Amino acid sequence: MRFDLTILAPHIGFLAEGALLTVQACILSLIGSVILGMLVAIARTSAAGWVRRLAFVYVDLFRNIPFIVQLFFFYYGLPEIGIYIDAFTTGVIALSIAGGAYASDVIRSGILAIDNGILEAAEVSGLSKRKTFTRIVLPIALRTSVRPLGSVLINMILTSSILSTITLNELTGSAKIVASDTFRPFEIYVVLLVVYAALTWLVSLGIGLLHRRLNRDMLEPVG
Amino acid sequence: MRFTDFTSYDLVLLAQGLATTIGLFLATSLIGLAIGALWAVIRFYRVPVLTQLVAFLAEILKNSPVLVQLFLVFFGFPAFFKVNVTPVEAAVITLSANTAAFVYVIGVSAIESIAREQVEAARVFGLTRWQVLRHVIAPQAAAFSVGPLVALLVNQLQVTSLISVIGVVDLTKIGNILNLRTLKPFIVWSVVGLLYYLAAKLVATLGARFEDRLRAHSAFRGL
Repeated sequence: MRFDLTILAPHIGFLAEGALLTVQACILSLIGSVILGMLVAIARTSAAGWVRRLAFVYVDLFRNIPFIVQLFFFYYGLPEIGIYIDAFTTGVIALSIAGGAYASDVIRSGILAIDNGILEAAEVSGLSKRKTFTRIVLPIALRTSVRPLGSVLINMILTSSILSTITLNELTGSAKIVASDTFRPFEIYVVLLVVYAALTWLVSLGIGLLHRRLNRDMLEPVG
Repeated sequence: MRFTDFTSYDLVLLAQGLATTIGLFLATSLIGLAIGALWAVIRFYRVPVLTQLVAFLAEILKNSPVLVQLFLVFFGFPAFFKVNVTPVEAAVITLSANTAAFVYVIGVSAIESIAREQVEAARVFGLTRWQVLRHVIAPQAAAFSVGPLVALLVNQLQVTSLISVIGVVDLTKIGNILNLRTLKPFIVWSVVGLLYYLAAKLVATLGARFEDRLRAHSAFRGL
């Protein structure tokens, strides 16, 4: 059989819709996981021991259980307790919770990397604990963890392909439909590999630029 | 008679699924380690065309979803090359290649972590390039890469759960079967998740112990 990409031309619109759904799911899940990650990172750096331990259990569990198992847990489990939501929402929730575990680790190391002198300076200036955290600690921690958060996002883009197993027709799901329509699975999946690789490459390029822009005052002058 | 209750035979099913998961995990990890190490050696020797090819292949494998790779091998290869691929074969090929790509990256950075002067000194002493690799670089690179490799293996154990999508009867597939029969998603997926968690912890613990053994000679012995 010849490698012929032209047979995919009529399906590009359909695939683009799937790609759009992937992008939507990833952006929503990124927002969800950064918020969750921040809360958990606060819990993991808290002074109370049991809060720290509880947060650690969450991170440990969701990092060591395969995403597909978590996804099935939510997808089949939520209707059991009377929560009926569609596959997209379930997918975004599952991705946010799984991504939150990784994001919290990143943000936590961002918090721990903050110089003690900065905290002492804030204390001496009479800032309350809350103010110190929201105005000083979090901005610095988030700014320095842009790059690792970017790799969480890239991982999320790759993981979002698993959402196709719960009947969500994102990029992989729609490619599956096109493959069974055209009987040309080889071409379509090769294209899909390249599309995902290009997508993650673009994201990592963007993250690099964002990191440089946010941390521009910390860069050494050239020369 | 209803068949929706759990029976003691379900435990056997779970054990079988776990055995399949762990068996495939071990097999693909070993194959992946061998291929990945070979790719790193190819790069070390800077074999003209192969080096670029390997770098490109590793980049694609790293930056695309494993699910799409599985579909490419399982659905694409039979259609394009006219070969028969069973689910287990597709799983072994994909997971091995995927592991190899990450092992390659770890191997390359491990080789690069060794100071240039050491290689130069060894060359001055008249060692051939192979002897340098065998006696100077390999031992240090191996010690350097144990930590990242253990983290990789813990991750690859979770990735094996995706092969259930193409019909390999691994732990996740057993979870699916039990879930559909008993309609008790919370119990089924919790048990499956717990088994994965324990397996991941086992891999991590064994890896940490092995790393300690390797580091024992450089640990501070006291005065």
